[in-house]
Amino acid sequence: MSRKSLDQTIELIRRLDRARSPVEICGLLLPILGRFGADHVFAGLIPNPGSSRQQQLSNVILDYWPKEWTHRYFSHGYIASDPAIRSVSTLPTPFFWNELEPLYRDRPEARRVMQEASDFKLKSGFTIPLATLEGDVAGFSIAGEYLDISPDERGMLTLVATYALGRAILIQESAAQPSAVLSPREREALQWAAEGKSEWEIGELMGISEHGVDKHMRAARLKLGTTSRTHAVAEAIRMGLIN
Amino acid sequence: MIHIVTPENQHLFRDEMEQAYRLRHRVFVDEMKWTDLAREDGREIDQFDNAHAVHMLYIADGQVLGYQRMLPSTRPHLLSDVLPQLCEGERPVGPHIWEWTRYCVAPGHRERGRALSPVANALLSGIVEWGLASGISTIIIEMNPLWLLRLVQLYFRTTPLGLPQKVGDEDVLAVTASFDRRTLLRLQEMRGNNLRVLAEPEPTVRRLAG
Repeated sequence: MSRKSLDQTIELIRRLDRARSPVEICGLLLPILGRFGADHVFAGLIPNPGSSRQQQLSNVILDYWPKEWTHRYFSHGYIASDPAIRSVSTLPTPFFWNELEPLYRDRPEARRVMQEASDFKLKSGFTIPLATLEGDVAGFSIAGEYLDISPDERGMLTLVATYALGRAILIQESAAQPSAVLSPREREALQWAAEGKSEWEIGELMGISEHGVDKHMRAARLKLGTTSRTHAVAEAIRMGLIN
Repeated sequence: MIHIVTPENQHLFRDEMEQAYRLRHRVFVDEMKWTDLAREDGREIDQFDNAHAVHMLYIADGQVLGYQRMLPSTRPHLLSDVLPQLCEGERPVGPHIWEWTRYCVAPGHRERGRALSPVANALLSGIVEWGLASGISTIIIEMNPLWLLRLVQLYFRTTPLGLPQKVGDEDVLAVTASFDRRTLLRLQEMRGNNLRVLAEPEPTVRRLAG
């Protein structure tokens, strides 16, 4: 692996760090994944066996599978027979789907999932198992008609997968807190406050009156459930709303 | 509570340091099979356990349940002297950068499939409290790449220094990880309180950093 490809990986990681939505993350990943022959990516937490379809869907973190396939997969409960799902919890290292073939040869329902996936042009796949802070197992999969990933590139792909999943989880967490919905003006005012500007200075910077600034700050405090300006800034930083 | 042990106060922690070296031996030699580190007396001590090392011990009722060691990047450390191949570009060096090594938690006090154990959380919080108080913002870590996601989720801003490589049987990745108040808040939120984990009010390491 050359120094140049490490630099490119780091540059991609930086961009992933700034992404604001799962769609944006997929958009950043696809050009890189294309180099390996993959045009689809999917990541999620492995649900407990027997969990409802609703729970399964809420475990999805990144979804750039063909739409009809995602729909079919979850409405038919394929997660229970998918050999990659089974392996992600037991294998500590990344694997190609075709390496699993000997493990599911005798299970017709598993063969059917893999056969149908290939009908959706997800013929060749590669899955990276990851473990979250909360102790959940996560899988990050890429797939296409034919994948070509050298052993050297596996390490790079593992890094990229980790940052993409990590960023997506952080985005999901802040979206799950309803109070996190600050308006762009409220966020801007808080950002300036975080940089130590006074209400008057913020007004000048935003081209509004001091009273207007006060209004935005009050609304932000209310939404963040905080009483002081300092606490609001700290909370907004913690939630990743401002820097 | 996390106690910081340096040459200045080590006379107060003789028994605990003894326990710490034994815990290191149990975890790294007996459990993880880093046989190069094996010693007949069952105390794992290496060339970096010198006057510049900062030891952090999790002590409860006189028992050392967790341990980690911080080494200044401005002096010989693992990345400079033992695992230089893990850093493909320029090696990170500076008084604000320290290397985190020998992290270990006694069996029975580790994660049981969920989140961070209280000892693990305290050790990580200890680094962040110590760092924020002493002008240290970045740590160098050599670790299994599986740890990376957890660091990202804890708001450590990490940068790979190279790609994962085999060291013995294990995949090892070197990163720098920077932290700030957000990291501390996140760790506090996870353990459900914002009490200090460090036993001493003022770390005494600043002078040693230069």
